[in-house]
Amino acid sequence: MSRRIRVLLAKLGLDAHTIGVNVIAQALRDAGMEVIYSGLKQTPEMVARTAIQEDVDVVGMSSLSNAHMVHFPKVVALLREQAADDKLVIGGGVIPEEDQQTLLDAGIARVFTMGTPTREIIAYIERWAADRANAGDARAERARE
Amino acid sequence: MSESDQSLRDRLAAWERDTLAQKLAARPERKSEFTTQAMHWPVNRLYTPLDLEAVGFDYLRDVGFPGEFPYTRGSEPNGYRSDLWTMMQVSGFGTGDEWAKRGRYMLEQGLTGLFLEYDLPTTNGYDSDHPLAAGEVGRAGIALDSLDDMEALLDLPFEKLQRLTSICNGPQTVNLAMILCALEKRGIDPGSFTLQIPNAILIEYTCVGRYLFPPDHGLRVATDALEYCIKNHPNWIPISVVSAQLYAAHANPVQELAFSFAIAKEYLDAALARGIPIDTLAPYFSFITGIDMDFFEAVGKLRAYRKIWARIMRDEYGTDRPESQRLRLTASPGTMSLTLQQPLNNIARLGIQMLACAVAQGGYAMNTPLHDEAHALPTEEAIAVGAAIHNIVAHESGVADTVDPLAGSYYVETMTRKLEDAVFAELDKIAAMGGALHAIKTGYFQKELARQQYERVRAIEDGSRKLVGVNHSVRDEGKRSIAIHKHDPAVEQRQVERLRRLRAGRDGAAVQKSLDRLRDAARSGENLVPPCIEAVRSYATHGEMCDALRDVFGSYTPDASAMGI
Repeated sequence: MSRRIRVLLAKLGLDAHTIGVNVIAQALRDAGMEVIYSGLKQTPEMVARTAIQEDVDVVGMSSLSNAHMVHFPKVVALLREQAADDKLVIGGGVIPEEDQQTLLDAGIARVFTMGTPTREIIAYIERWAADRANAGDARAERARE
Repeated sequence: MSESDQSLRDRLAAWERDTLAQKLAARPERKSEFTTQAMHWPVNRLYTPLDLEAVGFDYLRDVGFPGEFPYTRGSEPNGYRSDLWTMMQVSGFGTGDEWAKRGRYMLEQGLTGLFLEYDLPTTNGYDSDHPLAAGEVGRAGIALDSLDDMEALLDLPFEKLQRLTSICNGPQTVNLAMILCALEKRGIDPGSFTLQIPNAILIEYTCVGRYLFPPDHGLRVATDALEYCIKNHPNWIPISVVSAQLYAAHANPVQELAFSFAIAKEYLDAALARGIPIDTLAPYFSFITGIDMDFFEAVGKLRAYRKIWARIMRDEYGTDRPESQRLRLTASPGTMSLTLQQPLNNIARLGIQMLACAVAQGGYAMNTPLHDEAHALPTEEAIAVGAAIHNIVAHESGVADTVDPLAGSYYVETMTRKLEDAVFAELDKIAAMGGALHAIKTGYFQKELARQQYERVRAIEDGSRKLVGVNHSVRDEGKRSIAIHKHDPAVEQRQVERLRRLRAGRDGAAVQKSLDRLRDAARSGENLVPPCIEAVRSYATHGEMCDALRDVFGSYTPDASAMGI
């Protein structure tokens, strides 16, 4: 049996809207995941460091002000630099349509806008974890052969 | 029980048996259970005098007359028959001079009060060129770095302005000093209008997050601003308990009121400890609340709000002065009830909420958010519609023409009383923990709010709470049907250049001297407003002054346990 999915939820910059991150934290925990919350006023460096130290599977970043374009791509870049880009990096909050493609291009796997049902986010993470486990099994099988 | 009660009870039973039962047999009820929206209290089919009897309702004790203890029917003796509420709207974006253009437009639309909202770098005490400011300059509010900016944004027709509200809760003494210096430079008499500074730092620690220093130092800064205004600008409103922020964090009405009064007691006690007598102090306290969609919870909340304050003043602070017992309230239809989906529906929501505010004597001033607010900062069209909502309720609905017309309603009085009892019970619980400051440091308020937030989302997702356009009566709108305010991406660069020019052109030694003096004052415990004024005059920047205070007070990072999740 694989371990529980570990998720780091992060708030970057000065944005202090916490309702979204509060709700997602509780919903993911209810779905059986382990959730670590960064607290407010994090820099991309702090988030990447925590993600690596805590050995999380998923990094979820919440933004309801305006700095997602500044901070989100930096977190992905920092994880790549430190060879930790096996993690699923997702974002959510108030993200204008015109920004979403730029974020996807920068390596954010998925952007969940406000009003996305929590079950959709849970299902997405679970599917990703299952795919990764399957891929891992397949690799292990190939190695045995 | 009186004879008439018994006969009423018999008649009620007969009605249920002879009239109602038949209807229910033919048409079952829509829901197995009817409950209030936020409290989830059961809602009875019918309220009668028997319900008032059950809570021991007494007209003179529970309700009385407007403008008299216990103020349930209103703080004003004549409701809105003499004066309507001040019609306000929140606004803030861009640089100071850009905002001033919008402020002048709003005053031309007939608004008489303005709210200043600053951007996140400002409210968190950073200059526009600080690394943490990237992407946020002039976005969620006005960018403010120096006296220059404040002067530009106060380029307003002050003769049309009754009230200006400036929201900068963390570095409040710095913000206040900037306003004072800008008024002085513009030659405007501070006595000619009302400045309201919410000064609401404890709400920031609870749910808003724009704090700089550890809570005890935050409370000291707020108390300095309060004390300075009481002594120097007696016509201003130097402290507000912004319970609307708790509502916006999905506090239910009982939590909103109980947390707010517990917080108010911390401010009161801090100022009393400086020797300001209660009857000097209490009249300066004002409250800003938010109104949600359940009409009767809203009406009950507004009435209970006044009554509880009056009772706290009388019973806990021992004052019988009407000026101290009378609640000063501003109500705001709630942004949290507005939906991103089908934004025009929000105009109906705002109308209902304004009606609740007006019918229950919501306050001296009310502000409407705007129907496109869930999308972005409001457009000029939305501002005009927002002003119209005020005027339609004021001049067309008739609710402003008689005082507290729902008094005596069996349901409304039952609700008011039930809220009052529940708030006092929660206040006792908070007092037993050691008060609001302690509840904040240990995360009690934060945890309660996080739980409420999750419950609300679950109720919307499972459909038990209906939201039109979200999980009920959803229509496919195709593309967005309203115009959206467009942010100018060059604002940040312009503001940073402006700041750099300012820094290059000032007397650096004078700035350093004034910042040293500010640090000394922070250490010695003297009131911070005068040294802040000196620093502003030397053109020290907002961020530099906040840094000087951080040098002494430290920055605040709550413990994991106090984050709520």
